[in-house]
Amino acid sequence: MPRLRELQLGFAAALLDGDAGGFDRHIRASGLSGARRLQVYRHNTLLGLTGALEAVYPVVRRLVGEEFFRYAAAQYIARHPSRSGDLHEFGEHFPLFLQSFPPTAELVYLPDVARLEWAYHQVFHAARHPPLDLTTLAQIPAERQGELHFQLHPAACLLESAFPILRIWQVNQDDDTGDPPVDLAEGGVQLLIIRHENLDIEFQALADGEFSLLHALAGNSDFTTACEQAMAAQPTLDLPACFHRHVLQGVLVDFFLPNC
Amino acid sequence: MIAKPALSRLGPGSIPARAGIGLRAEHYDAVLESRPPVGWLEVHSENYFGAGGKPLDYLERIRAHYPLSLHGVGLSIGSTDPLDRWHLSKLKALIRRFEPALVSEHLSWGSVGGRHFNDLLPLPYTEEALYHVVARVAQVQDQLGRPLLIENPSSYLQYVESTIPEWEFLTELAERTGCGVLLDVNNIYVSARNHSFDADTYLRAIPRHVVQEIHLAGFTVKCFEDGEILIDSHNQPVWPAVWALYRRAIQRFSPVPTLIEWDTDLPELTVLVDEAQRADAILEERHAQAA
Repeated sequence: MPRLRELQLGFAAALLDGDAGGFDRHIRASGLSGARRLQVYRHNTLLGLTGALEAVYPVVRRLVGEEFFRYAAAQYIARHPSRSGDLHEFGEHFPLFLQSFPPTAELVYLPDVARLEWAYHQVFHAARHPPLDLTTLAQIPAERQGELHFQLHPAACLLESAFPILRIWQVNQDDDTGDPPVDLAEGGVQLLIIRHENLDIEFQALADGEFSLLHALAGNSDFTTACEQAMAAQPTLDLPACFHRHVLQGVLVDFFLPNC
Repeated sequence: MIAKPALSRLGPGSIPARAGIGLRAEHYDAVLESRPPVGWLEVHSENYFGAGGKPLDYLERIRAHYPLSLHGVGLSIGSTDPLDRWHLSKLKALIRRFEPALVSEHLSWGSVGGRHFNDLLPLPYTEEALYHVVARVAQVQDQLGRPLLIENPSSYLQYVESTIPEWEFLTELAERTGCGVLLDVNNIYVSARNHSFDADTYLRAIPRHVVQEIHLAGFTVKCFEDGEILIDSHNQPVWPAVWALYRRAIQRFSPVPTLIEWDTDLPELTVLVDEAQRADAILEERHAQAA
């Protein structure tokens, strides 16, 4: 008699890998065949995991159509199985998968749209964080301010794309009321996705300097370096105003001085 | 974490022997606005494993008005992989925060070799599996510091290797670990039809004192050329035959908190509330008999 572990591994193989290795010999034959009974589980599993992907990637689904999405989902599930009992963690590699998925190669913007949806999903479930403590920040001596490192809100995310993914996302919402179609020639976008105190999520298209500043800070650059990068990206940037805006709207929520 | 007054008022052990409904995101606002007359609410634990955001925020607000039960679908208790400590720690944090009166999981497995199927897969009912599941339930109860309820799943196949009827397996599990039983009457009906056993034999075999919660839901009939199979689909009203079986279950087990589950193709909240009131009427009849 196979031990429990062997039985589970055999079941898993039959379920995911489409193993025809005769697992149905472990299934009691009565009415429906063992193969048919396994098929019910395979279908349920696929339905559940596909549903989880559909919940995170509704715009991708709308762009490729329901039938194709299910096909892509099945391929993805086989290549990147779920690794958690919490379905919200499933689907992280879908953008990368789409990038190398030959049938969608012509939809060059699709992986970035998927990245946007995954980022939205992350921001949606991220932790709360209190706003930046301005009083303590004001106590940092001026000569040391350049050494400061800042932390972005856990529910803030930066995303850059060579395609107009924000517009693509917007015109593919259920409540969209007939915006003009998107022309890929509109060009790329640098996005901040931020969840506010009231838990509403907002997309902000940022100019070069603003995006560079946040991007550098998110990448753990010190304040001086981040400012230099921002000014290099956009010499006309009003740096103090830009910095204040992102403190006030809760994008920058914490800071520290190294070796302190 | 400091318990809020509203939460302490609805502390553990406070789920009434009435009907409750499964709370789903689509109904958050309707529940808060209409405060439906249901005895309690149940949520899937994993839906609140996120670090923050709307699900937790809504649950906190809704929890202030209803007793709560946490129903897990992803712990994979029957798996031979090591128990997922990360999963367990999230569940523990959730329990600390929301003080549910009941915490339940399934008599099933959902992962092996690190791969998750996020489904309730059937166990072979053998001595080895019983020994394994007993140890796992004990381990989880130990980690959580509280008893679990374990639910009988719907099943679509039986293993050649199984030597113990499911009702005996479940009873033994409860007796050996002290866990309670979440008896899903729809699942009993579905499995009984799928494997040609008598649903009432199942009911009679479960000791009265172990059943602490009952689930009711709708199933779907799927037809193939070589026969039909009942699928536990949670997408429609409870079937008449299941209501009849439920009535007999309540005769045997006395009034037990009863949940109306509806997870896909969700209707208006009022449809769930109507189903709950139907269950309440059956519970009332039994209360009246006992009086």
